[in-house]
Amino acid sequence: MDYVPHSQIPGHKVKQTGAVSLKGIKKQFNFKDRELKVLSEFSLDVQPGEFVSIVGPSGCGKSTLLRLIAGLDDTYDGTITLDGQRVAGTSLERGLVFQDHRLFPWMTLEDNIALALTNRQISKDAKAKLVADHIALVGLKGFEKAFPHQLSGGMAQRAAIARSLVNEPKVLLLDEPFGALDALTRVHLQGELQRIWLAQGSTMIMITHDVEEALYLGDRVVVMQANPGRITHTVDVNLPHPRDRASPVLHRLKDEILAELTNVPEAPNSVVRLIKGDDQ
Amino acid sequence: MTLKTLNLNAFKPVWLLGLIPPVLFLLWWDHEAAKGGANALAFVSLAQVGQALIDMFSSGELALSYGSSLGRALSGLLIGGGIGTLVGIAMGLSKPVEWAASPIYNSFRQVPILGWLPLIGLWFGSGDLSKLIIVALSAFYPTVLYTFEGLKQVEARLLDVGRVYRLNGWQTFWRIQWPAALPSIFTGLFQALAFTWISTIGVELLFSSGAGLGAMMQQAQLQARLDIVLVCILFVGLTGFAINFLIKRLSQHVLSWRSVRA
Amino acid sequence: MKPDLKLILSVSSPLLLLIVWQAVTAFKLFPPEVLVSPTAVVAAFGEVIATGELQRHLSESLTRLAGGFTTGASLGLLFGLALALSKTVEQVFGPTFQALRQIPVLAFIPMLILLLGIDEVFKIVIIAKAAFFPVALAAYDSVKGVPKSYFEVSSLYRAPWWVLISKILIPATIPNILAGVRLSLTRSWLVLVAAELIVADSGLGQMMEMGRQMFRLDIVMVGVIVAGVIGFGLDRLFQLLQAHALRWKTA
Repeated sequence: MDYVPHSQIPGHKVKQTGAVSLKGIKKQFNFKDRELKVLSEFSLDVQPGEFVSIVGPSGCGKSTLLRLIAGLDDTYDGTITLDGQRVAGTSLERGLVFQDHRLFPWMTLEDNIALALTNRQISKDAKAKLVADHIALVGLKGFEKAFPHQLSGGMAQRAAIARSLVNEPKVLLLDEPFGALDALTRVHLQGELQRIWLAQGSTMIMITHDVEEALYLGDRVVVMQANPGRITHTVDVNLPHPRDRASPVLHRLKDEILAELTNVPEAPNSVVRLIKGDDQ
Repeated sequence: MTLKTLNLNAFKPVWLLGLIPPVLFLLWWDHEAAKGGANALAFVSLAQVGQALIDMFSSGELALSYGSSLGRALSGLLIGGGIGTLVGIAMGLSKPVEWAASPIYNSFRQVPILGWLPLIGLWFGSGDLSKLIIVALSAFYPTVLYTFEGLKQVEARLLDVGRVYRLNGWQTFWRIQWPAALPSIFTGLFQALAFTWISTIGVELLFSSGAGLGAMMQQAQLQARLDIVLVCILFVGLTGFAINFLIKRLSQHVLSWRSVRA
Repeated sequence: MKPDLKLILSVSSPLLLLIVWQAVTAFKLFPPEVLVSPTAVVAAFGEVIATGELQRHLSESLTRLAGGFTTGASLGLLFGLALALSKTVEQVFGPTFQALRQIPVLAFIPMLILLLGIDEVFKIVIIAKAAFFPVALAAYDSVKGVPKSYFEVSSLYRAPWWVLISKILIPATIPNILAGVRLSLTRSWLVLVAAELIVADSGLGQMMEMGRQMFRLDIVMVGVIVAGVIGFGLDRLFQLLQAHALRWKTA
């Protein structure tokens, strides 16, 4: 398969901004006397407009990693930059979608999304337009006045995506965004996210434990291992978007990654083992 | 035979069973009252109680006492609940305030509420001001506690959303913490409402000068007018019932989105 | 070592209050009928202990509390259980119970005085009534609240009735019942102090009321503090018992 950079895919808006660079990230939690290494020497460069999926077992530090990029946690070693600027604290340039939608139950969908614009210095009308546009983008037109409890899980997660995109961030961070949804909704929303990404074109970094999802959406899939969290392998997915789930390439890659994740507790770098069969 | 059982079941709604104890009690009561002599001093006939109700009603006495008790309870709720909410917010938002205030709050709270009355009485006399202070205090305690707890329990995951969108302190409080704590704050206010009613009756019994149901009862007791006492109990009870009913309905309404996870 | 701000603040704030109180009295900002110094309160404490007055009133109060609380709580427990376990009892007594529950205990004081006089019986009855309702309600609610599935499990394994009671009913209901008993203990103390304030003949409440009438602010304050300490102590004591009885819960 030839690698087709997403920038050459017709219809995909190319952005010049949104390059995320992580260099030598080290993060540890200290309990009374012990220290727990969560991330060790984690380095990754993400191109503007690229979609990077990160998969790994639970406890490999992938959610922590996202919190660091988002700026919710500043205590780590190493450097994280966005377009060459060092990341410090949270910023409207970096959007974040959580696993649970985290919409506020006391606000309408519209107000929830508008909350993200609270500190944007633009006119009221401009804000209203942004909110309306993004509600339309995620296909929730007509639900502006609905409260979160009136929405299905999938709709709520779409609203959360709209909220994180309404600031037009350079990079969107997604922390297992579909992890709490049922299988059918998840497949549907994966398609929707791909459509949104193609239409909107910001850099996306998505954490997931679903290898199929990682491959279906990502230009690149980063495989992590735990104790301490580190990259063991990176897979380029050289397929044009939008993709065909039935593609044999995706299936082959999925088998490879799964084999690595399930069989190798102490995987040396870049080794992809084939399924042994008896261990499954 | 079958017809009879059928009829019995059909004409015996279960709620009628619930009337057995009060009816028996009233019959016994009237019987004791009818005996006369020493008993008559204690037990008054139901007719007398009814007459007292009518008298008190028509003279406007009842309305006056009831109105002043209710007014006392509500103004106590307003003052104590208002201050309590502010203190609870300060304690919930600032750790230093929490650390400094909670030992004082917790030690003052140990004193049974009416136990303050002799002290407050010495300071402010046995008039309406002293009563109001105690009633307000009874509303203060639960509102502080529930406001504080409500703010403490706002989940970090919700606050994270505020951080991601760079809300400042005031925006975080107003848009996230306050609405998230609101169900708890209302629970505190509801509890305060119930407490203020109880403490209103209590302070009026103790400082029985002035108007109020409690004062009326206390004076009636001194004149051995059980009929008046019973009418007062009836109204105290009905109000308690109304308050509890109101609280139940309001909580269902206010807390309706609490069960829905954010 | 980093100074512990929490410790510093939580110790210094009550201390500061005491110092301000002492300073205000030292500068005689208020006449002594309005504010006495902390040291005067301590002295009054010594006085009422030396004369035996405090011990006498306190033992009166605590004896009443013990009698009234034990009677009320045990009757409440039995009644609550009966109410929950028997449909007939519930139908007959349920509405009366629910109605009486709404009336603040204090409102019964004038009636009980008229019917029972101001002797010990009255005080025991009023405390018992205060103790009765929280326990009865807790017992009723917690037995009613035992999930049906528990009974299904026990019938699935053909457990005999004593196992059902000892292994399921009691462990499932005891936490809530104990919480009700604890509440009723606090209520009893509150009502007792109030009752003693109203019908003054003996007890801690009477000591305070007498202090008030004689403008002995120091003695009133001693009373307030003792009332608080006893209330706190009773609650803490019960909390310990509760924690002991519920060791299995968080272990």
